[in-house]
Amino acid sequence: MSLANVKADTPQTHEPESIGRLSRHSFRAKFILVVSAAVLFDLMLAGGVAIWNVQRLSKDATEKVAQGLTTATEEYLRTYIDTTALRTELLLDQVFSEVEALGASMQTLIDNPKTGAEIGQTVELDPVLGDTLVFNPEADWSQNEPGESVVSVWGYLLDDQGDPLPDVSTQIADSSAFNLVAPGMMKTGSPKLQMYYVGPKDIPIMRTTPYTDQAQTFDKLYPGHNEDNFWDFFFPGVYESWQSWIENPANRPVPRDIVGTAPYIDAITGAKIVSFFFPLWTEDRSDVAGMTAVDITLDQLSSLVENVKIAETGFGFLTASNGNVLAVSDAGAQVLGLVSVGGEGQGVTGINRFLEQSQFPEVAKLELPHNTGTVIDSLSLGTNPDGSEESYTVILKELAPINLWDGEKIVSENLTLGFMVANDEIYASLTAVQQELTEATQRIVNWQIVVLLVSLFIVTLAVYAVSGRITKGLSQLSHAARALQNKDYSVRVSIPTKDEVAAVGLAFNRMAEEISYHTENLENLVEERTRKLETANREIVDLNKRLKTENVRLGAELDVAKRIQEMVLPRLSELENIPQIEIAAFMEPADEVGGDYYDVLFDGDHIKVGIGDVTGHGLESGVLMLMVQSVARALQEQGDRDPVAFLDVLNRAVYKNITRTRSDKHLTLAFVDYENGKVTLSGQHEEVLIIRANGETERIDTIDLGFPVGLEADISPFVATLDLNFGPEDVLILHTDGITEAENEEGVMFGLDRLSESAQENREKSAKGIAEAVINDVKSHIGAHKVFDDITLVVLKHR
Amino acid sequence: MEISTNDYRVWTEASTIHYEGTMRLSGTDAYAPILEIMNSVLSSKPEVITLDLTGLEFLNSSGINLLAKFTIEIRKQPDVGVRVLGSKAIPWQSKSLRNLQRLHPSLELTIS
Repeated sequence: MSLANVKADTPQTHEPESIGRLSRHSFRAKFILVVSAAVLFDLMLAGGVAIWNVQRLSKDATEKVAQGLTTATEEYLRTYIDTTALRTELLLDQVFSEVEALGASMQTLIDNPKTGAEIGQTVELDPVLGDTLVFNPEADWSQNEPGESVVSVWGYLLDDQGDPLPDVSTQIADSSAFNLVAPGMMKTGSPKLQMYYVGPKDIPIMRTTPYTDQAQTFDKLYPGHNEDNFWDFFFPGVYESWQSWIENPANRPVPRDIVGTAPYIDAITGAKIVSFFFPLWTEDRSDVAGMTAVDITLDQLSSLVENVKIAETGFGFLTASNGNVLAVSDAGAQVLGLVSVGGEGQGVTGINRFLEQSQFPEVAKLELPHNTGTVIDSLSLGTNPDGSEESYTVILKELAPINLWDGEKIVSENLTLGFMVANDEIYASLTAVQQELTEATQRIVNWQIVVLLVSLFIVTLAVYAVSGRITKGLSQLSHAARALQNKDYSVRVSIPTKDEVAAVGLAFNRMAEEISYHTENLENLVEERTRKLETANREIVDLNKRLKTENVRLGAELDVAKRIQEMVLPRLSELENIPQIEIAAFMEPADEVGGDYYDVLFDGDHIKVGIGDVTGHGLESGVLMLMVQSVARALQEQGDRDPVAFLDVLNRAVYKNITRTRSDKHLTLAFVDYENGKVTLSGQHEEVLIIRANGETERIDTIDLGFPVGLEADISPFVATLDLNFGPEDVLILHTDGITEAENEEGVMFGLDRLSESAQENREKSAKGIAEAVINDVKSHIGAHKVFDDITLVVLKHR
Repeated sequence: MEISTNDYRVWTEASTIHYEGTMRLSGTDAYAPILEIMNSVLSSKPEVITLDLTGLEFLNSSGINLLAKFTIEIRKQPDVGVRVLGSKAIPWQSKSLRNLQRLHPSLELTIS
């Protein structure tokens, strides 16, 4: 590889992007990110669990508080309404008791007529307590002067002069004890509007305390009352109901004589009132003898329910069983959405505010309890201005039943006490608690977040600080590597830690040193190497020159040897001149100079053919062959016809020459002598083949006919001869082992069998033709494989 | 001692010299290392030297020359016996080994 190539291979084109210490690709940034993410995850998990628990705690607490608060509130409301109901009943009972007390006094006078009359006359005579009737001719009624109480006598109870009829006078006197008792009762006890007495149906005079201009008021509000019977005009049906009670006390809807009225506007005072009647009976209890009654204003009744204070705006109300609300504060009426309608009562003007006519459907649908105890319900009355639902808790309790005149007859009536309170207010404390809990939770969450952020900040700060130390080595390495890339080979890193990075740093320093050394010494190295190469090249060139010279010398030597070998081989013309035998020979050395020998010696009548194989090849083998040929020729010329002596002499000559030349070669050598249709074989060599004219093939082993020449001084003990007939068309084949041992590519030798077959098949041809055919077969057997040994073939064919 | 190539292998076991494969070396010089092995066995003057040729598929004429010369060397030392083991299945052996016996009649030749 040349230096130019080295340079071209040096990677310089890819300049990696510089990685800043804290760019998002840097190891440090990743390290910080991973650790921060782990801490964040941990904190968020812990924080999340804490927040979840706090919120669950808050929720549980809220639920518990709500449950407890609801129970407590209901308990409170029940107790409160029970107490209020009790108070209402007590109040009514007190009013009832007072009217009963007045009635009982009057009844005592009725039941004791003589004493009653005497008391009456006595009272009448009293200047203060007695009645001083003044007839009003225009209005046609008589009424006393103002005092503690008032008595009115209607026109139909007066005679033409305006004086009371005799029965009426008696009745007035008998009932004058009212003036004695009633004013006192009126002033004491429960607050009342007025107490009054009405006489029996035939004499319905009316006494009332305190004093009012009641006749004048009646005239104004109820025209016609002075002409019609008082009872029938004002309270139709009441009197008859009472009368039916005498026949059967069970007719009383409620076993108490007191009868109430629906609220109405009092004709005298103009106040909203309710009245309670107490019937009086005749002495024999056969008929009704009038009544005592008390009026109480609804305000007085209302004060009871209006005193109900629940939370901030909670209120109480009292309603009749028909849903007519008797008592409620104005604010309460507004909440309930009540609308006032005029009463249809005949005698007195009623005042009705029915729940079912409420502007709120849920109120209108409200079912009043009947024999079902206390009922708690929840109502939704639209939405508040702030959008939240305006829901109320309503609690209803049925009061004990009373008798009620409904304008026609007396029926049983259960008043119902109701409380209504906005849920907002009931649950204000709950809401406050919830608010507190929510705020506390939020506070905890906020703190948690603050702690989380602070922790994260601190950890990130710490990680940042620590990461600097941890990644300092890597950072240094990175910078050093870049410096190295920019050919600053002097760079070294200094890593104070004792971890793997430090180990890398050490390795880096060593490598940098080596690179530095190599880079700085590269030119020197190249120069040194080049010098060495030049020296080596010079040596090689010298060597090459020497080798060439040697080769030329060797080549010349081989050329000489080859020339000698070729020169001594018999000429073609020589062979053609031989009369009896046709001889063809083929020789191809493996190297330039072969070790094979053949010769044909002909001296006119005797033919001697020799064949041999010198060990090895080259000039030495060639010279040995030349030696053998010369000796053989000399012996032939001397006329020595004994093949055994011939071989013995030849061996001696060659052996001695080999010893002199200190050659270590020897050769196999055999001769074929032909004379008069007979061949004589002598000497040890390869097997001799004879193909008879009829195609029969004979193989003649020559091992026992001789011994290698040049190996031993005397081989005569081993030399023998063998005589064979050799007639016309017979063929004799001599060969060297170069033919039989010729290998093909598979390492299979040509062998004697193939040689024998090839010769046999071509025996008809001339000697030359046979030789060519056999050599062709051998060559095609060898193919492209290496030729190892000299190839020599001699074919003799009898003419 | 052992000489081993892709084509042949020659090694000694005590006084026995084994030959294996195909020996087609180009001349006396090429056979010198093998002769060295053989001479070293001979120089130890064993009672009998055994040449085991039963695995030697082919031996060229230079090789045969080597065996002949070695036989002549043994012949010069009457105290050292020699035994040659050959195989009938290998053509060159039945032809050439008998010459060794002729060189040194006391050579014990076994061609099995």
